[in-house]
Amino acid sequence: MSKVNINDYKVALVGNPNVGKSVIFGLLTGKYVTVSNYPGTTVEVSRGMCKGLGGGIEIIDTPGANSLIPLSEDESVARDMLLEDYTKHIVQVADAKNLRRGLLVTSQLAEMGLPVVLVLNMWDELLDRGMNVDVEVLQEILGAPVVKTIATHKVGINALFHAIPIAKIPNLPIDYGSLIEEGISRILKILQGNTTVNERALAIMLLSGDEALEEKLRHKLTDGSLAEIKRIRDGIQSHFSNPLSYVINIKRANMVDALVDKVTLTIRKEKETHPAVRGIFFYFLVPLVSFFMGYKLAALLMYLVSSQLPSGSILTLITPLAVGGILSLWSSLYLYVREYKAKVTIAEILGRITMHPIAAFPLLIIILWIIYKLVGEFGAGTCVDFFEEKVFGRSLIPSGGFDLRVYIPFIEKTYVFTHVNFDGFNYYFGLLAQKVMSKDNIIFELFLNEQSGLVRVGLTYAIAIVFPIVGFFFLAFGIMEDSGYLPRLAVMVDKVFKRIGLNGKAVLPMVLGLGCDTMATLTTRILNTKKERIIATLLLALAIPCSAQLGVISSVLGKVSGIYFAIYVFVISIQLLLVGYLSSKVLPGAPSDFLMEIPPFRMPKLSNIFIKTFYRVHWFLKEAVPLFMLGTLALFVATKVGILAFVERMGTPVTRDFLGLPAETTHGFILGFLRRDYGAVSIFKTLEEKGGSAGIDPKQLLVSLVVITLFIPCLANFLVMIKEQGVKNAFFMFAFILPYSILVGGILRVILQRF
Amino acid sequence: MTEPSQEEILELIWTMEEETKRVEKDSLIKKIPFPTAEEKLNALINEDYVKIVESRVELTKKGRADARLVIRRHRLAERLLHDVLEVKEDVMDSSACKFEHILDEEVTASICALLGHPVTCPHGKAIPPGACCEKANKDIRPVVMPLSELKSGDKAKVSYIVTKYHGRLDRLSSMGLLPGVQIRLHQRQPSYVIQMGETQIALDTAIARDIYVRLM
Repeated sequence: MSKVNINDYKVALVGNPNVGKSVIFGLLTGKYVTVSNYPGTTVEVSRGMCKGLGGGIEIIDTPGANSLIPLSEDESVARDMLLEDYTKHIVQVADAKNLRRGLLVTSQLAEMGLPVVLVLNMWDELLDRGMNVDVEVLQEILGAPVVKTIATHKVGINALFHAIPIAKIPNLPIDYGSLIEEGISRILKILQGNTTVNERALAIMLLSGDEALEEKLRHKLTDGSLAEIKRIRDGIQSHFSNPLSYVINIKRANMVDALVDKVTLTIRKEKETHPAVRGIFFYFLVPLVSFFMGYKLAALLMYLVSSQLPSGSILTLITPLAVGGILSLWSSLYLYVREYKAKVTIAEILGRITMHPIAAFPLLIIILWIIYKLVGEFGAGTCVDFFEEKVFGRSLIPSGGFDLRVYIPFIEKTYVFTHVNFDGFNYYFGLLAQKVMSKDNIIFELFLNEQSGLVRVGLTYAIAIVFPIVGFFFLAFGIMEDSGYLPRLAVMVDKVFKRIGLNGKAVLPMVLGLGCDTMATLTTRILNTKKERIIATLLLALAIPCSAQLGVISSVLGKVSGIYFAIYVFVISIQLLLVGYLSSKVLPGAPSDFLMEIPPFRMPKLSNIFIKTFYRVHWFLKEAVPLFMLGTLALFVATKVGILAFVERMGTPVTRDFLGLPAETTHGFILGFLRRDYGAVSIFKTLEEKGGSAGIDPKQLLVSLVVITLFIPCLANFLVMIKEQGVKNAFFMFAFILPYSILVGGILRVILQRF
Repeated sequence: MTEPSQEEILELIWTMEEETKRVEKDSLIKKIPFPTAEEKLNALINEDYVKIVESRVELTKKGRADARLVIRRHRLAERLLHDVLEVKEDVMDSSACKFEHILDEEVTASICALLGHPVTCPHGKAIPPGACCEKANKDIRPVVMPLSELKSGDKAKVSYIVTKYHGRLDRLSSMGLLPGVQIRLHQRQPSYVIQMGETQIALDTAIARDIYVRLM
């Protein structure tokens, strides 16, 4: 063992996607990074200091990579970090039950001459499957420490702490055959002395045709030597008709396979769930849940057509019951016949159903419905009302307090504990302010103005409206992520997404976009090609309403009529598909492959979901609150100076004559740039006032909500678009979306007028 | 009919054409592995299998048809030895060289059918299709077929991967999906899902068509 001063090196976590690098990072540093059951959660490098080991070692978490020859942007992050010039010890995290794929990475680390500790994580899942890995033998062959861990239960972390300082270069020599070996030695001669990293590894990467690496070497090598390298590569390539990188991968895999055979032991143990649990599942849960699903699906359908039926029609009562009964019977029998005898766990059965070509779709609708109930009704309805009206309240009118109560479902009774006499923060703040100044004072208006006060509108809005909605959304999203439902969703939507120039993988940013487009735009990095990232960014900005906006829109439209909400969803979906389809035709680039690892279906760990939700909401508030305040301030200034009135006058002909909306709604569209949901509320209020006693005109409302949804992204999203796509692309998108959204609104208005 | 040594020369011209398009007479003669190269070549010229244009050697129509058959037999033999009999690579090469001279048309066609009318040899070079390939009927289940032809629940072993896209090959191989790996097709719709060891992988139809597997 070489004597290494403890502070002389950094520790980098490397490994295949979804093996638990981030969990281990958290355990080593005590710092939280988002963890989920979805490959590609980590898109950026996180750094932290290690608590143990004398406290002075920097730990670096990297995005997962199957190969150190990068294929997508997030994979190149890991490789680039490894090529950086400082001493490092590698903690390579591998999924113990997928040793083969882990060792493929180990062999590349060995080539790079880096000292490695191999962590076999998820050891429990390996044992569950009746497999075993002989760690002693593996350690002996590799000549590097191997540690088994169950990171989510903090098992084996101590051993890892001890192993880090004694990391060694693994002994995994691979002979690539005389042709390639000769090429390697010829490239080595060119590289000699020009780089600080292991030259053999560089030579192999260059032979594999790693273009990103060539770019990096451009400033170190002369054009002549680069051309020479290319000549050598082409020379060897002519002997093989498969690409060299593939030939190299096969040689590597053969070597690794031989090693895996030596160290693994499989006694195929069929995992089984306890018979009682199985019984409950097959005889009780399946019939019940499928009945509920059928009932709900039919009820949703009836809701949409309810306006066409005579009220109180017996049909609306019977249909859901009948559909529920049929579905219950069918799915129970189907599952019983197919799965009862098969010895698989219930999690596996569920995992299969969620990808089943037929059953998966009603299931998806039900899941969306549950999310809507949680986020749209409870979060955006009940919670927002409570926070906005009662907790924050208005600055000049007391809110009147609220009851502390319990609602008991089924018997539909409410039990009131006590009444709380609390008139809202804003009211008390207003009272306090009025002690020192009049309510017409400009300072008072700056903070407590009903239309654009920093506290009354900016802060109240961020916390009372956005916080509950986004919080509940992230909670739902976390459950979908950790159970493994999201990647299964990717399997289902792949065919549709292919049509719009994306592939199933894009489901993550798209669904996340329903929570917050800004955050989703950042995750477009997991997509493989530039073309896909542009399309995903554009579609997020154009047609994916964020949860705050969706919450407002669904509650507003839901109050008016179910059929209008259906039309809204239909129009937006059509736009999503149409613009996606057209941009996939217009933008250059080949379609990218859908090839994705599907993690096992698991019972999500509640603590992880709560922690994750907490950190996401925390991030969101940190990003959003300042922007809200900034936006509100800009609005206040614009109102006072008169710019707003001017822009409104400019926009009025468009809103009034083209969209057929009251001129005052222009104001809402401008607000939409600050927060889109903000704009939606403002438009709704305006239309409500205009409608007066006659009530709101649903057609006007629909047109305005479609426009505000498609309309330019909010400020935060726009800034992230610039960051990810560059100023030019971001402005192109902006310039497309603005007129396009108005055009769609105009066309919709004309169509609606015909009915 | 041509004799084995002549067939070797025809085969050599064919492969050299594949690589370089132009076959210089001098370099051809250097590559012919037996001493009387010049003589044999002249014999071929006399029998109208080969002609000399300037300094280049070209196959005549008759010669091309014959060379095509030799190549086809050779590469099919390689596939047979590699995929079905799982013979080591060096043995495969030398045996295939003998096979190409002894297989008759009927045997060749049945080997082709057995292998599922493969399009490339284990080295990735194209196998010229025969009449049987065009007639290939879908309801005969060949031993080696694209993954997309499997039924769900089928177990198979990856034989080879043929794709036009370099990136696809890299992505598959870095996931560990390589020739020799055992897989089980989980489902075909809405996307293909395969089980490979303890890993489940979803892939689209385009990729599934490129992966050739042998049913187990």
